[in-house]
Amino acid sequence: MPQLFQRYTNTLAPASIVAVFIALSAAVWGMHAIIFSPYATEVGQPVSQVVPFSHQHHVAGLGIDCRYCHTGVETSAFAGLPATETCMTCHSQIWRDAPMLEPVRQSWATGQPLHWNRVHNLPDYVYFDHSIHIQKGVGCISCHGRVDRMPLMAKSETLYMRWCLDCHKAPEDHLRPKNEVFVMKDIVPDEKRGVALLRAEEIDKTHLQDCSVCHR
Amino acid sequence: MSDPLPPANSEAPLRDEDEFAPGAAEWPEDLSRRRFLQIMAASFALAGGACTRLPHGEILPYIRQPELLIPGKPLYFATAMDFGGVGHGLLVRSNEGRPTKIEGNPDHPTSLGRSSVHAQAALLTLYDPARSHAAMKLGHPETWEGLLGELLPEIEKWKESAGAGVHLLTQRIASPTLVAQIQQFLKKFPKAQWHFHDAAFPRSPMPVTVHLEQARVVLSLDAELFGYGGANVPNALAFAKARRRDENISRLYAVEVTPTFTGAMADHRRALSPSALVKFAQDLVVTLRDGSKSSDNWSAALLRDLQKHKGQCVVVAGEFQPPSVHEAARQINEALGNIGKTIDYLPAEASLPPSGLPELVTAMQRGEVDTLLIFGGNPAYDSPVDLPFGEALARVPFSVHHGLYPNETAQVCRWHLPESHFLETWSDVRASDGSESIAQPLIEPLYPSKSAHELIAVLLEQVPTTGYDIIRGAWEQRHKTDNFENFWRKSVHDGVAALPMPPSAKAPEPAAAPAAKAEVESKSLELVIRPDAHVLDGRFAENAWLQELPKPLTQLTWENAALIAPQTAKANHLEHGDVVELRYRDHAIRVPVWVLPGQAEGCVTVHLGYGRTYAGPVGSGLGSNAFTLQTSDAPWGGPGAEMHKIGDGHRFSTTQSERSMEDRDPVRLVTADKPAVEVAREDLPETTETLYPKWKYTGPAWGMVIDLSACIGCSACTIACQAENNIPVVGREQVLRRREMHWIRVDRYFDGDNNAPRLLHQPVPCMHCENAPCELVCPVGATVHDHEGLNVMVYNRCVGTRYCSNNCPYKVRRFNFLKFNDDHSETLKLMRNPNVSVRMRGVMEKCTYCLQRISAARIDAEKEKRKIRDGEVIPACAQACPADAIVFGDILDPASRVAAMKKSARNYSLLGELNTRPRTTYLARMQNPNPEIG
Repeated sequence: MPQLFQRYTNTLAPASIVAVFIALSAAVWGMHAIIFSPYATEVGQPVSQVVPFSHQHHVAGLGIDCRYCHTGVETSAFAGLPATETCMTCHSQIWRDAPMLEPVRQSWATGQPLHWNRVHNLPDYVYFDHSIHIQKGVGCISCHGRVDRMPLMAKSETLYMRWCLDCHKAPEDHLRPKNEVFVMKDIVPDEKRGVALLRAEEIDKTHLQDCSVCHR
Repeated sequence: MSDPLPPANSEAPLRDEDEFAPGAAEWPEDLSRRRFLQIMAASFALAGGACTRLPHGEILPYIRQPELLIPGKPLYFATAMDFGGVGHGLLVRSNEGRPTKIEGNPDHPTSLGRSSVHAQAALLTLYDPARSHAAMKLGHPETWEGLLGELLPEIEKWKESAGAGVHLLTQRIASPTLVAQIQQFLKKFPKAQWHFHDAAFPRSPMPVTVHLEQARVVLSLDAELFGYGGANVPNALAFAKARRRDENISRLYAVEVTPTFTGAMADHRRALSPSALVKFAQDLVVTLRDGSKSSDNWSAALLRDLQKHKGQCVVVAGEFQPPSVHEAARQINEALGNIGKTIDYLPAEASLPPSGLPELVTAMQRGEVDTLLIFGGNPAYDSPVDLPFGEALARVPFSVHHGLYPNETAQVCRWHLPESHFLETWSDVRASDGSESIAQPLIEPLYPSKSAHELIAVLLEQVPTTGYDIIRGAWEQRHKTDNFENFWRKSVHDGVAALPMPPSAKAPEPAAAPAAKAEVESKSLELVIRPDAHVLDGRFAENAWLQELPKPLTQLTWENAALIAPQTAKANHLEHGDVVELRYRDHAIRVPVWVLPGQAEGCVTVHLGYGRTYAGPVGSGLGSNAFTLQTSDAPWGGPGAEMHKIGDGHRFSTTQSERSMEDRDPVRLVTADKPAVEVAREDLPETTETLYPKWKYTGPAWGMVIDLSACIGCSACTIACQAENNIPVVGREQVLRRREMHWIRVDRYFDGDNNAPRLLHQPVPCMHCENAPCELVCPVGATVHDHEGLNVMVYNRCVGTRYCSNNCPYKVRRFNFLKFNDDHSETLKLMRNPNVSVRMRGVMEKCTYCLQRISAARIDAEKEKRKIRDGEVIPACAQACPADAIVFGDILDPASRVAAMKKSARNYSLLGELNTRPRTTYLARMQNPNPEIG
């Protein structure tokens, strides 16, 4: 009986199976690389703003506390951005004519808000609450990074769900004493201290991994 | 899909019409399978390319952040609503300066924290995209200044003529300030005339206030105590209290024409045609007076029961009953010493002018009306057919319509001025108990509108002309206090003014009742016209929430029908769904027939508010216009109607076609001597065995109890849930496919004899089962059980398999078959609750026990390192319920209300034999039958 398949198919058949495995692995590896690349996560990439507000100058240089501007952080889900009035508390007196601050003065004069580009954004179906995190001892810099070293704000963490869950599964590695929440100091993970903080704040780890904590 | 879709006449605005066009399920003619696969592969490949980073978005902070306003935290303001000339106290939640949810005001004496269907739905009216955006002159957009340009010279003319030829037409008014302003106007222009016309809240033959909590026996003569009327909320709450007492629970008898909520709650119910009801009332009076034997056992037992409870019973006559029935009720109340105890007769309504629509139309037809100012309402649509308002209006040179919508009347008036919604403007109201409240706005007017106060101030050439100054000035004049500023602030804050109650005025001597001619039961078919329970006289036709809310007892949506009893249907050879021509006094309408068990024999009920032409995209072209059959001497119908079948096969958009409970008995009934709930079916005992490990709860375990003794079936819970959780409206075609999206629904059942059934209601939200059938079958784990016992729905995981809904025995899961949410209309975006996701097409949703409220309370409690207190978390349904039938809380907390109720002998689970272990349980309905009637 004449052969249906030519000789080269003897190599092609097993080679194609191997090739499919390799292709699939490459695809998965490639997707993983893309998803976690700085392009996708935008970690470390400063976002341009209408006014190049420098946290480095205001926090490290002047020592202003986070809460002076981000007023809602202890009471509300949203930390908020400062009203133009807050900027003008200082800049009506210092750097009054700086060209860099012209948009702020315009906003104050015309009653139109400043359009800040959002750096930290979560999908609409995620309901993150700042106040409970602050209250339980999660430092600002745990999620937002060392803003006192940022001339322009950039994400320092991916804010992916797996990153949130890393802490929700083991908060003791990321908590700090309440008086250090707003302090620009990296914490050294310390299990004993972490567990003590957990107990002091009455945090129930089992509840933290419920979907209902963030999604509704 | 072989049957064609019914004509689209109720599309919600701005739907993507090409999305699922008719015929989308059929294979297109010229597409080969190879080409199809090529296109699918290409789109799959491109789909990957669309996965980019999250868009940045912008944050726009305030320029000057208002004091007390923290973005993300809601504020609550007390206000009030004028509904049918009665004030309803409200507490409104404001998120970032816009109202997002209306609740009852716990500090208001007639609200006590409860609200009603119309209070909840008023939020949508505020944000309705179909509202009037601008003034109109002869159909063209104009401005307020343009109107002033014509109005001010007219006012000069009125000064000379002392207002001759000037006519005002208003509906019922709850605002004492507005009434005072009108009276000021009439004083300034003595020849001007004021007319009253309100198709849904007509002049009452005998206005009363009922005190149901004092009554042990209540007889309702077609009185819808719990419907949309002025005292519906306090009545429901008082009645529920009287039914839940451990001892001396009250007994309700209802004699009515069409099934109502009152009839559904009754221990003994009788359906009589209107003429038979009049005769019944008269016979009752005569029997009581003479002591003679009454014609039947039922009436005899009823009378004996009333007489046994002298001073603790009450007879209430319905608003649409003729004066003879009211007089009969009054005589019985007087004879039994009820007056002043369970019922108060109020003096004739002083805030209503004696003149009505007939006088106005006559004057218009005679050419005596030069200026007609219409304050709200829609007389061109809702006037009786023998008063041709629209035609007569052609003879009025200067007509102004002031209203929320550019409706039928606005189309025929010279001028139309948009009216400010009550949430946008200052006003004041008087509630059903006489207390006064200031209604403060929650948001600046969305459109260039004016309130009635502001319009009249211009007519009076008064300064100031803003709502705030008018109300404040009027209050300063009316209420002399030492420190007005403090009094004003406290009144605005509390939502009710701390004033001494006006002494209950002595009711006038009843007018000599006309010699009661012996009433005869009519042999012909009687027409019964009633305002629709939700849309009323058509004023809410554009409110999509109210259109889609299933109507009482029929569960009909988006249309009206002719309701007839099964016996009547049989006698006339009619079936459910037949289309008839309903003829009354030379006028006829085409209307489908609904066979309703519990409807009185020999009469056909049709509801007003439909058949509108200029309601807007939502409310126009629905149903049949019953105003065509309404005449001014018989506004609520009469004998001599005829029905001729002209078609059949009408498909009703109803949410529930099941009528019987079968043997499952979802609603259980108990009596005082046997209060323990019995198993529905012996072959399906409730079981507690399970193979699954029991969940262990350390924190709060949320649960809910719904007391069926208290639930009146009003569906305020449904609308409250819709407002709180951003639930979309689906429209008539989708309701035909049973795709309505209500997370909590009120089921109704007819129990017993089909010709005289018992009417039962049962609210059904998600049961949050501990052994949830839905959690097991989700292939992607989108529905999970959390540590507080909630069955959590995670929208972002859901891929739309719908297996969970398939497995749910209660069918409480709703699927977004299409993109039902409207994300185009800008004003509707303002309305949405920011703490609840708005769901897209392809995602399952269901009741979450108001997880957003639980989260907020949990966060507050954890910040303060305390437990959540009982009563701190109230889901929207529980908060709205006027009868306080829904109770929610921590079932592991021994001191909570919920835990106590679950211990009751009346407690049972719906479909408990399935071993789903629902967290939502019911308390069986306690009946209190008269042993003599049995």
